[in-house]
Amino acid sequence: MKQKLTSLLSVGALALGASLAPASAAEAVKVGVLHSLSGTMAISETSLRDVLLFAFDEINAKGGVLGKKIEPVVVDGASDWPLFAEKAKQLLEQDKVSVTFGCWTSVSRKSVLPVYEKNNGLLFYPVQYEGEEESKNVAYTAEAVNQQATPAVDYYLAEGKKKFYLLGSDYVYPQTTNLVLLEYLLSKGVKLENIGGGFRKDGSGKIISAGKYTPFGHTDYQQIIAEIKQFAASGDACVISTLNGDTNVPFFKEYAAAGLTAETCPVVSFSISEDEFRGLPAKQLVGQLGCWTYFQSIDTPANKKFVADFQAWLKKSNVPGLVKEGRVTCSPMVLSYVGVYLWKAAVEKAGSFDVDKVRAAWKSGISFNGPGGKVTTQPNMHLTKNVFIGETKADGQFKIVKSFQNVYGEPWLKGKFQAK
Amino acid sequence: MDLLPVKPLACILFFVAACAYLVPAGAATPREIIARAVLAEDAGAKRDFIGQLMGQADPAIAPLLEAWRTDALFIFTATDGAKIPVVLTGERDEAGTQTAARIDTGAALTAANGQPLRLVVADLAAADHTSSLRRAMKAVLDLADLAASEPAKRIKAILTIGLAQDAEKLPALQARLAIEPEESVRRALRESIALAQLKDDRDAIKLAALGELKELRSLASTDFLTRSLKESEAAGKPALARAAREALRSVESHRSFVDFFGTLFRGVSLGSILLVAALGLAITFGLMRVINMAHGEMIAVGAYTTYLVQNIFGTGITIPFFGFSLPIFGLNLTGAAYQWYFIAALPLSFIAAAIVGIGLERSVIRFLYRRPLESLLATWGVSLVMQQGLRLMFGANNVQVSSPTYLSGNWLVNDIILGWNRVFVIGFAMLIVFGMWLVLTKTPLGLLIRASMQNRTMASCMGVRTERVNMLTFGLGSGLAGLAGAFLSQIGNVGPSLGQGYIIDSFMVVVVGGVGSIGGTILSAFGIGGIDQVLQQYLPYIAPGLSWVPGIGSFLQNLAQDAAVFGKILVLAGIILFLQWKPAGLFVTRSRNLED
Repeated sequence: MKQKLTSLLSVGALALGASLAPASAAEAVKVGVLHSLSGTMAISETSLRDVLLFAFDEINAKGGVLGKKIEPVVVDGASDWPLFAEKAKQLLEQDKVSVTFGCWTSVSRKSVLPVYEKNNGLLFYPVQYEGEEESKNVAYTAEAVNQQATPAVDYYLAEGKKKFYLLGSDYVYPQTTNLVLLEYLLSKGVKLENIGGGFRKDGSGKIISAGKYTPFGHTDYQQIIAEIKQFAASGDACVISTLNGDTNVPFFKEYAAAGLTAETCPVVSFSISEDEFRGLPAKQLVGQLGCWTYFQSIDTPANKKFVADFQAWLKKSNVPGLVKEGRVTCSPMVLSYVGVYLWKAAVEKAGSFDVDKVRAAWKSGISFNGPGGKVTTQPNMHLTKNVFIGETKADGQFKIVKSFQNVYGEPWLKGKFQAK
Repeated sequence: MDLLPVKPLACILFFVAACAYLVPAGAATPREIIARAVLAEDAGAKRDFIGQLMGQADPAIAPLLEAWRTDALFIFTATDGAKIPVVLTGERDEAGTQTAARIDTGAALTAANGQPLRLVVADLAAADHTSSLRRAMKAVLDLADLAASEPAKRIKAILTIGLAQDAEKLPALQARLAIEPEESVRRALRESIALAQLKDDRDAIKLAALGELKELRSLASTDFLTRSLKESEAAGKPALARAAREALRSVESHRSFVDFFGTLFRGVSLGSILLVAALGLAITFGLMRVINMAHGEMIAVGAYTTYLVQNIFGTGITIPFFGFSLPIFGLNLTGAAYQWYFIAALPLSFIAAAIVGIGLERSVIRFLYRRPLESLLATWGVSLVMQQGLRLMFGANNVQVSSPTYLSGNWLVNDIILGWNRVFVIGFAMLIVFGMWLVLTKTPLGLLIRASMQNRTMASCMGVRTERVNMLTFGLGSGLAGLAGAFLSQIGNVGPSLGQGYIIDSFMVVVVGGVGSIGGTILSAFGIGGIDQVLQQYLPYIAPGLSWVPGIGSFLQNLAQDAAVFGKILVLAGIILFLQWKPAGLFVTRSRNLED
């Protein structure tokens, strides 16, 4: 009862604060947060909202940006892509936010893109994506294909792997990534017959799609596993998986049941981070690989402080609906967090919240020492950052086995790698 | 009988011989080498140290490397800053401390005053290892495993050596072949020897190896044979090329044999899953004619019951039960006892789902018999409510149901993979069908059920308490769905919307089989499962033959590449056509009831 009373009081205080707000309106800058807080994507995207609010609180506690406090405007995209565009319009035209942090799926990004270009807004996009896009209105803090997929292939090649099986969920990110990977593998001297999963060709015989694809929610992986088993029978084989979400569970259960292990034929997954292990059994994946630009297990003082501060913030925060138990940090979260600080640095360098000036500051190259190490902005609106490869452990964390320093983010990769 | 002692003796002799062959003279002891490997900074140096262990027969090697691989090998930092690799030994006392043994000497770890030190696991750093290092360790263990007591271990070790085409280890393999009694292991040995010999410079040996591989029909050799074929063609050696081609042909014919029976097995297993999922619906919809859209949620109830039982066998769980925290205490079982949770979960998930089903029947469905459209809408509403209920109780995320060890292995019969979980589901489906047949035809309850379902009014006139029979029948159908849920938790995800993935398949199976006919349900489940797997397996083979179709040839070819999806589409299209031809399904249940 006492607790209720205090929470009532704090609500009252908040209301009071809100009513006082107009007096200090000049002291606040509005910032949009556009993520799905309901629907299928809510599980992943809510974590990003949480880390953004954490970053805003951190910055506000130290005096804000250019002396102004950050005032977040949180809207719910509800896993509904057209709704994302409407919410973006609302943020830009009604709330007049200076910047928006948001989107997870590529389709939601594509859906809001015209809105940001028309209103000359600025969107920070934090989740690994397929590239082939470069808008002046989007700051891509996300991993480009060459900051995740191709380093993983490099690692496999160094480990002596000769056969590569491509497998993914059937949508734009896996399809594009696998096409780039096909070109990359061929350029590294891997023969076409050593790339598994099959190809699709157009009328002239040109390969237009590589790899095996399954729909979302697919559960029957028996046949594909039997195919991989035969593919891997001659040794030195590995799997590159862009399977998304919970289809990974039946896939890895079947994989283990067929007697395939990380030692005989490892799988690197690009869509499984620490946060996904809250709903995935890590036991089946032990020893399998992940590749991201951040892992919670990075052993640096900066990362330890970030993780500890985030957990402390979770404990004391009173954001409605906040899950406080069993929380972890992962790459998309850190790239959201880093995005906020890069925006702050760009604003301070430009001395203004004006989008054109902030963009110019971004393009001039700004560095920030984040939890995953140093990141630097690039003229092509992407980020230079470190890439890590980790092995899954039974507790859903990753043990880092390889790191690549300062990898330049390159969105245009199709046709870049030529077969020898 | 008196021959028996020879085997171990021969093993030891072989081992000694192998060691004499491989151990360099005057090296450090294996324990010292491992200690140095643990402390080495560089991953390459670590690998080199491990490589030195290759072929050494010290019995300390295997347990130490195993400890390292499983994070049970620690680095202890002494007070003077020296780093000492140790393993923990002895019983853990109340404070959690254990005595430790040094890796390099095997002696107990002591403090400066000679007293044994007691360490706590949590204070120590486990020695790190990467997959390449583990592979190096595996190579060492493999060679040691050549003399392992379990045949499966020996086969794994032998094949690893063979696939690496490591000619240096040929003598060890040949020595083993001379004394190996187990037929399956002999086969693996012959395969590995032949693979390693493919790299030999002498044509005669290569030819013999190709002949051997042809005879063995070794699937693992495909890539090596193709390479060998190309090399021989390039080198202008027709005899070798011909032998390689023949070997490849024999391997290919074996592969199509494996594919065929593998497909058959997968079809039966998919059919069993469909059957298990649909059987409950065959009762609630088939017999009772309730269009039960909440069938999927009954499956989910069974799956979540399995999850709860797993947690009760483990460390317990706290459920946020509509605003209250409901703590459920665990039994804290470990090891084999814990593994039995799944067996315990089977009857419990039946009971849980049956109780929910009876509750549903009493509260909603009993008012809706003879009103199929209303029952469809009402049960659909119930299904939404139940999904949200599960979400409130267990969270929106999927929950983790682990597979017990006895369900997570496989048998390899003539290169066909028979997963234990799949074999289990087939047996399980047959058992349920048999049980249901017994209940429906051999018990008084079954008689009453059949009577009431055929004609409620007449049965009621004859003194059957049809209300009660309805309730029990619906409970039985729901309970079967719960059983399905328990099993499906081993195959796929357990989440609030688990049921949605199975509801359409279940209706499809029941409708195709003929509403009201259990036999039809069985036949249609296996038919749909089988056709689906056959299409998945063989569409990519058929597709190239379709390129002549004008206009859509390449489109068809590309679709067949996505056999998993295209197969499903074809099955659905087939079902639609089939129902045009036979609207009442495979088996039509005829009755003299005027309403029908």
